[in-house]
Amino acid sequence: MVEVKIDNSLHGKEFLEMAFDRCIKCSTCKFGFKNFEPSCPSGEKFLFESYWASGRIRIIRGLINGDLEWTDDLKDAIFACPTCGACMDSCQAPQADFLVDIIEALREMAVKHIGPGPNQENLITRTKDVFNPYGEQNSDNSDLKEKYGLPDQAEWVYFIGCTSNYRQKNLRDSTLNFLKKVGIDFTLVDEHCCTSPLIRTGQINDVKDFMNYNVEQIKKAGATKVITSCAGCYRTLIKDFEKFGVDYDFEVYHTAELVKQLLDEKKIKIKSSYDKTVTYHDPCHLGRHMGVYEIPREVYKQIPGINLVEMRRNRNHAWCCGAGGGVKIGYPEWAVDISKERLEEAKETGASIVSSTCPFCRTNLSDANDKFKMGFEVLDLIEILDQMTIEVKQEE
Amino acid sequence: MSDKQSDLYPYSYDMTEVKPSMPNFVVIPENKEQLVKLVKFCNKYIIPIIPYITGNNVGGITVPVKGGIIVDFGKKMNKILYVNENMKYAILEPGVTFGQFKKYLDDNYPNLRYSYPFAPPSAGVVGNALLSGMNNLSEKIGSMGDSINGLEVITIDGDVARIGSCFYGKDEADPDHWYSRYPMPDLLGLFVNWQGMTGLVTKCAVQLWPKDPFEKNIVALFEDLPSVGRFMREVGSLEVLNDISAVSIEVVKMTIELPEPKRFPGEPAMIANCPISGKTQKLVDAKLEILQNKVKELQDEGMPVILEDIDDFAKLLNLRVRSFLDLPAVILSLFEYSGLTWFGSYAPSHIHDELIPKVDAIFHKHGVPPFIYMKNMKSNHYGIFRPIIRYNKYKEGEEERVHALLEEITDVCIDAGCIPYKTPEWMTEKMRKKINPGWQNLFEKVKKMMDPNGIFNPGRWNT
Repeated sequence: MVEVKIDNSLHGKEFLEMAFDRCIKCSTCKFGFKNFEPSCPSGEKFLFESYWASGRIRIIRGLINGDLEWTDDLKDAIFACPTCGACMDSCQAPQADFLVDIIEALREMAVKHIGPGPNQENLITRTKDVFNPYGEQNSDNSDLKEKYGLPDQAEWVYFIGCTSNYRQKNLRDSTLNFLKKVGIDFTLVDEHCCTSPLIRTGQINDVKDFMNYNVEQIKKAGATKVITSCAGCYRTLIKDFEKFGVDYDFEVYHTAELVKQLLDEKKIKIKSSYDKTVTYHDPCHLGRHMGVYEIPREVYKQIPGINLVEMRRNRNHAWCCGAGGGVKIGYPEWAVDISKERLEEAKETGASIVSSTCPFCRTNLSDANDKFKMGFEVLDLIEILDQMTIEVKQEE
Repeated sequence: MSDKQSDLYPYSYDMTEVKPSMPNFVVIPENKEQLVKLVKFCNKYIIPIIPYITGNNVGGITVPVKGGIIVDFGKKMNKILYVNENMKYAILEPGVTFGQFKKYLDDNYPNLRYSYPFAPPSAGVVGNALLSGMNNLSEKIGSMGDSINGLEVITIDGDVARIGSCFYGKDEADPDHWYSRYPMPDLLGLFVNWQGMTGLVTKCAVQLWPKDPFEKNIVALFEDLPSVGRFMREVGSLEVLNDISAVSIEVVKMTIELPEPKRFPGEPAMIANCPISGKTQKLVDAKLEILQNKVKELQDEGMPVILEDIDDFAKLLNLRVRSFLDLPAVILSLFEYSGLTWFGSYAPSHIHDELIPKVDAIFHKHGVPPFIYMKNMKSNHYGIFRPIIRYNKYKEGEEERVHALLEEITDVCIDAGCIPYKTPEWMTEKMRKKINPGWQNLFEKVKKMMDPNGIFNPGRWNT
């Protein structure tokens, strides 16, 4: 074998190099480590080796070595993956933590040679056009600022995220209500897409511009802390901004983290009762990608009356909702099928509420719930909290 | 079924330095009826068929050297069909993995266990048994090939044959009748160790064992290399251990994330894992006493060996060391790089004393940390000798360098009487120069009879 030559202009070059240095295709990435449950939605659906993490590593090698030619035939193997990171959790080899980075680097390379995955070019054209991947007229959030009486400058910025702002407005409004209710000094900015959908689908040419724009807006608001209810924005703001070399000097919180902190510091107390059985779906971007598993659970457990039950595959073993990695736009029917499997698992628990901490999970789980008449109520944690009576301890 | 280049490519090579070769198709069968049609079709048009589970054999056995159709059993024909708790066996489809099997037994038959190899949890149980793989009850039961009770196989003309005590009846066998491979003529020999050259196995019954509730894991640390072989023979013959396997100390260091370790003066040279179990703690203690007495005797004779409780050893070193006990597990020392190759062999156990220092020196000569893994099997009836090499497949000249090292080890070991299993072609070619002509003629005749057109995994054993 000869030494490999990788295109220096690729942002993910170091991860493509790793694909050559590591992985003997032991197949440990295919199943939950130690629980041996199916964990990879892509592999379980398409079955051939090329649809599992180790197979994608082989595709990288073949493409760079010249053993494989760039053709449209490759697109499904490259793009039909929600990048949920189950493979990262299962793999025990040194490349484990970087498997999603490796897949994203493959996608970056694919976009350059054969274009984006199915329908995924819409994500970039719409975002360049109206600053969100849904193609909705951009909201600078001034209406919301006015409605909620928010200042121009504040300690916190609530980074709403495109899915909450354009598709899951109830989740957005619940977050706004909660922040107001508990007396957080916050404001909104004219935010643009956080770039998660672009990075996940390998369309990275413009992401730094969007990132810098958002950092600038947050700075202008004088905020030292940013809160988001979106697991995707949270992951992107923390991990991807760093990966792309975009610096900032504010702290980033997921809503669940703030709620937990307020409860721990006894600044708030939930007074009313939520007498329902709830099962929590770990969003991949909050769980496997960021390691936040227990904080949301600890919040649910502090809601009086709630019966929190676990699905068979939970925490690091959680089955993905199927929306991420461009799958929702690229493979919409399959995306909902993945959620259906999750809801079937939720059925086994006896829960009536499936709850998560991500608007994207909420969308896809709701779509499956409606399509397959599963009979759940799908709610975000913050939507449940918005229904609660919350006592706020006044500062002395 | 797929013939997309991107779907075929991952099946074109494995972790070893065996030359890649693309298949023409990959199929994922659901049942034997589909496979019967496939075999008839392939035999008519002379198209190679290569059985595949996860391709973890470390011998290039699933690389389609003459193209053809990869039959990927791992994705759909992966069901645990039946467990007979009383006679302690399970009937499996070929794609069942060790991890899946362990979980199933732990969840449903907590008093039963299977025997797990030094391999990842995703490796195939049936492939391991058919290739006479290793396991962690090897002192008690020997090779996994011996643990097969019966097979269902598709032969070249599309006939489905059931072999073993399941052979009664025209239609499906009674699941409670897969209890033995004896006393009828043992046709299993036509399939076990043949590397898929004689037919497609669609079901396999494997023996299970009672799971002892009490366990103790002891390690033996050796100051020198020549003592290891004798220790393993003497201790192996005591019949108190479940297994005895030794590795170079460098392997332990690799497991605790030292990728290219060195052995420093004064450090132990090798370490042997000696698991003990029993129905009661008293029984475990009694076995331990027998082991300790034997070791005392060996120490008194001057053997530089000490025993340690592995829990203490792991606490002292790194808890990752426990992965050796917790099989099936991912042992980092095997998964560090993008390449892995070996000389995995059965060996007369008396040659270990000579081979260990010799092979250790070859590793050092080539500037590669020694990775020797060895076992004694079935109360010391025979041994396993397995030098392993990890490498970076894509570093210029590395594959050639590694192959040169492996070839030197192969020559030394075959000369000493080792018989490699899961063999790449170049290795069987070396063996065939030493095998008696009568065996070779019989082998060719059987192969010709079983597969006249040479469609079943061609290339294996230089066919």
